[in-house]
Amino acid sequence: MSTNDPGRRFPCGQTRREFVWDMGVGFAGIALSSLMAGDGWLGRRAMASGPVAEVAGGPLTPRPPHRATPVRSVIFLTMNGGPSQVDTFDYKPALAKYAGQPLPDGKKFINSGGRKVGFLTPAFRPFRPGGQSGLMISDYFPKVREHADKLAVIRSCHTDSHAHGSALVAMNTGKTFIGRPSLGSWAVYGLGSENQNLPGYVVILDKRGGPISGQPNWSSGFMSSAYQGTLFRPTGDPILDLRGPSRVRPETQRDQLDLLAQLNDEHLRARPGGQELAARINSYELAYRMQSATPEAVDLSRETATTLEAYGVGHQPTDEFGRNCLVARRLVERGVRFVQLYSGGGHLEETWDAHAGIESNHGRHAAEVDQPIAALLTDLEQRGLLSGTLVIWGGEFGRMPFSEGRGEPGRNHNPYGFSMWLAGGGVRGGMAYGETDEFGFEAVIDKVHLHDLHATILELCGLDHEALTYFHQGRNERLTDVYGRVIREVIAG
Amino acid sequence: MPKVCRSVQRRGTDFWRVWLVLLGSAGWVQGAGVDFEREVAPILVRHCLECHSGADASGRLNLGTRDGAWQGGESGKALVPGDAGASLLFQRVHAGEMPPKRQGKPQPLPSAETAILKTWVEEGADWPADRRLDLFEFTTDRRGGRDWWSLQPVRRPEIPGVKRTEWVKTPVDAFVLEKLEAAGWEPGPEADRRTLIRRVAYDLTGLPPTFEQVEAFVGDRSPDAYERVVDRLLASPQFGERWARHWLDVVRYAETCGYERDQVKPQVWKYRDWVIRAFQEDKPYDRFVLEQLAGDEIAGADEASWVATGFLRLGTWNDEPNDPEEYKYERLEDLVHATSTAFLGMTVKCARCHDHKFDPITQMDYHRMAAGFWAGYIQPGQGVLGGPDPKKLTFDVLAWTDVSREPQPLRFLKKGDPQRPGDPVEPGHLSMIPALNRPLPPPPADARTSERRRHLAEWIVDPANPLTARVWVNRIWLHHVGQGLVRSPDNFGFTGDLPTHPELLDWLADELVRGGWRSKPLHKQIVMSATYRQASVHPKQGTYRNRDAGNRLLWRADRRRLDSDALRDSLLWVAGNLDLTRIGGPSFSPVIGADALEGLSMKDQAWKASPPEEQGRRAIYSFTKRSLLPPFATVFDFPDTTLPCGQRDVSVVAPQALALMNNAFVHEQSAGLTRRVAAAARDEVERIQLAWRLALGRSPTPTEMARAREHLARETARVLERQRKEPVGDLRPPDMHALASLCHVLLNTNEFIYVD
Repeated sequence: MSTNDPGRRFPCGQTRREFVWDMGVGFAGIALSSLMAGDGWLGRRAMASGPVAEVAGGPLTPRPPHRATPVRSVIFLTMNGGPSQVDTFDYKPALAKYAGQPLPDGKKFINSGGRKVGFLTPAFRPFRPGGQSGLMISDYFPKVREHADKLAVIRSCHTDSHAHGSALVAMNTGKTFIGRPSLGSWAVYGLGSENQNLPGYVVILDKRGGPISGQPNWSSGFMSSAYQGTLFRPTGDPILDLRGPSRVRPETQRDQLDLLAQLNDEHLRARPGGQELAARINSYELAYRMQSATPEAVDLSRETATTLEAYGVGHQPTDEFGRNCLVARRLVERGVRFVQLYSGGGHLEETWDAHAGIESNHGRHAAEVDQPIAALLTDLEQRGLLSGTLVIWGGEFGRMPFSEGRGEPGRNHNPYGFSMWLAGGGVRGGMAYGETDEFGFEAVIDKVHLHDLHATILELCGLDHEALTYFHQGRNERLTDVYGRVIREVIAG
Repeated sequence: MPKVCRSVQRRGTDFWRVWLVLLGSAGWVQGAGVDFEREVAPILVRHCLECHSGADASGRLNLGTRDGAWQGGESGKALVPGDAGASLLFQRVHAGEMPPKRQGKPQPLPSAETAILKTWVEEGADWPADRRLDLFEFTTDRRGGRDWWSLQPVRRPEIPGVKRTEWVKTPVDAFVLEKLEAAGWEPGPEADRRTLIRRVAYDLTGLPPTFEQVEAFVGDRSPDAYERVVDRLLASPQFGERWARHWLDVVRYAETCGYERDQVKPQVWKYRDWVIRAFQEDKPYDRFVLEQLAGDEIAGADEASWVATGFLRLGTWNDEPNDPEEYKYERLEDLVHATSTAFLGMTVKCARCHDHKFDPITQMDYHRMAAGFWAGYIQPGQGVLGGPDPKKLTFDVLAWTDVSREPQPLRFLKKGDPQRPGDPVEPGHLSMIPALNRPLPPPPADARTSERRRHLAEWIVDPANPLTARVWVNRIWLHHVGQGLVRSPDNFGFTGDLPTHPELLDWLADELVRGGWRSKPLHKQIVMSATYRQASVHPKQGTYRNRDAGNRLLWRADRRRLDSDALRDSLLWVAGNLDLTRIGGPSFSPVIGADALEGLSMKDQAWKASPPEEQGRRAIYSFTKRSLLPPFATVFDFPDTTLPCGQRDVSVVAPQALALMNNAFVHEQSAGLTRRVAAAARDEVERIQLAWRLALGRSPTPTEMARAREHLARETARVLERQRKEPVGDLRPPDMHALASLCHVLLNTNEFIYVD
């Protein structure tokens, strides 16, 4: 099945919207399908032809994937700043041998920021085998290592920019230029979301700040803004405008909504067939439900002490990311399609941008996330959610195998080779795919460009990256542009 | 960066069917002699040349020239004159092997066309020696050719004769009515006066009329009552602000560069003010184009025309691209795309790496247009923020100009790949308009710039360029009627929509040019028309909607939701907080809640809202920062600012309801409305009446009055009870709380946010 171009031509030159109206999905259709969508009932049924009918239940109405898949949700653990592959998931014993030598002359690279170029430096912490598979993972991630058999580590990633701003945007949208829809937007555009009372694409930032380039990282670009990421705060009121001023009491708000419905109904009666008016009437009831559904989703008071303890909630340095991971699990449990958590925010050492020192930087950030990530994997598995949840880990690029000066403890940006891992739904665990050279400098075997990674993620979600298109300004746009190769080797089954 | 577009287009094109009909009538079985030009050439172009032409023709068979065809390809002789059976071309076609399958489906030629080929070969495969076929000659079922409708000269049509002449108010109506009558349909009834004045006020100024203006118009029985309203609105300063906003969307206006540092573009607001003034003064559109593309080069250049070249400075700009040498080509694409989209409605950018897949735009055309921008500050390390340093210009403004009279040549990039430069490109025009395809003269010896942009601009506004006027009048129509006559306003090419009323489009385009490219007369033509004045509900809509749900025949007015700008302005307006006196000047920074600021990487220095007295300015003066668009705007579909946007999305989603119910800005405005009402009305009934009048421009119906009174009573009682229990916090009188609650509801109604 192809999901061509929902905004475009339908029979007799109609627009999508007209087509849906014509199908007799008028007011009742909208109201009903939205109300039912939470049960995955009418939504799924009405969607026989993909996004064509999206307007029938709103843009987030669930739509069937192109292919059967166990994956219902995605959690993208974004390590903002660029973790060092040779210190985490890409074991390079040869670096010990070459320590203190320069990278060979033949290896060309852009020296990002014109920093000092030092000498090859081995990993700052030892690697050890994990699980049955014996996958090598360093002591920055001892707890994640216990899940080694769930991970497919892709060691041959490469990207198109050495600068944070462009590389983050590329990791999220496929291109180094701002303005394109992000991975989460594509997923929600393709699949809708299972829970209409929550956003379909949730982004939780690090308290220290947002990623460089900001909003374009979760933008829906040229698509409808209905597909853009919604910033979610992991405590209190998670989304913007969830509550009015305190003087407006809940009972008053209910009265207001009732009066509004009466006035709107009367207005609609004088305008028969006003489907957009009816849709908007319905959106108020939906908004009203969101007001209770979203705080509930971040309310950790119902979680057991054991669970909180496992995630490291209430302890430092794991409290914040632990909460975020737990909230991510709760969101996935409630049918949210795509959750993105940022580790690291703001600039430099507040992120994984370890110019000043791998040990000082990664020691700090890995300690914040290792336990929560491990707990998330355990928790998802125990609740039977892991097979339906694709977990992605990685940053916008990697780091150089050499230091920033003789004996210096930091490493510069490296877009030529870095590691990311996948786990959970549909992923073949306990494996590594691709290789960098013996220095861990550049991907050389089974290279995986961002487009390939994106194609694989969409594939795991049941979406064909070549068929998932959005017609814009004369072109069927794709997340992967005209590129992308699905890495079958990391897909189970 | 090599690219291969595999974006396959599925287009069930009516146009193609029309072509077949034309072909059929071309008389191919006229007995003696098949005519190569009339009968064979179209078949070859349509079915063969996509692969079999040019230097890298498939199977080395070039069917674009006689020599190529006669010579044959890798598989052997394509043509054996006099012997169809021995001619591979005929054999493969006859066997259904060519044209090749598409998506697994055979694509056999119609038997009539196969027969033509057979006869042609058997008669000697005549092919005039100098006749070169060209893929872009004809439109086929896969692509547009130079015969594509939008590339044909604008021809002023006769104003059609219609039966119901009494319905016709301006010539516009004759064109619309003709099609309705052909369908046996009736136009809609005229909207009532309250609806009409609200609609026209929003369309021309982005603001609602006051209650008094509505009442005056309703009571004015003079025949020119409506026209006087229209003239007043067209002359108001708010007209310029409103229509400038539409243009700012098209030119991807923002005030920062985007990316990591997201630098402010100093003085870019002067460009915004220039646009406002241009619309206000009704600057002729040809001049409007000339100044934006070449305001530094044209005769009579002055500070304002230099400011206009800010158009070329509006794109995103990355100060730290991965590869600066590649990045300059990205910038070229942005400039070509913005220019060709805004003025020509063509997706020229698609021809950056290969000939356009759907329109008759060659890769060389792309390069020829790009050469105009290549002469500017495009090389890494040049200038400031991607353009000339204002300190070195005649005027201290954000502007564009060339580095020199003779820039280094732009090289043709094979497959768009900077690593594969070819020959230097001769700057020139797009070949899709043959009548205007002339070489650019070299700049005079004393010129300061290459003058390529001036030539480009002059080519765009040449009255013989069929796109420019059509694209512009379509944009005007779109923002009045809700849909363009061409419903893909930024794409007049093959993948765009065909015009619903092609004759009307041409008539308007011709009017524009004849009228000295002035737009205001056109606005007036449209809003004075009976078409425009129709109600949004039609007595026969049950039937009509089943057959024309998209209102392509224009049998009623389309109901429209306020866009984010009109919504913000309207909320301020009803609250008495809108400041219409501050026109132009540096932008103000709107208040953005702390919650929404969390997405910034540099929180502390990220955003400082302007003082309260600035907050009441119109939305068009709101500072547009690419890494932080105000959530209240984006939730109501404020467009992305990186690409041109000729028509905003209109979504209906729950977060919009949350924003209107809960956002502090909206509460401030409902409080403002409450104060206005309380200050002027004595008792409850008067208050309700006034609230309705200020918010919705009308008095409440008896039912509404009753419901409002109920609401006030209930809320008053609630607050009384609360204040009795806990006498702290907001101790405004209970009836004021209740009134505030009512006012807030009114600002949330469909009536407030939709325009009939």
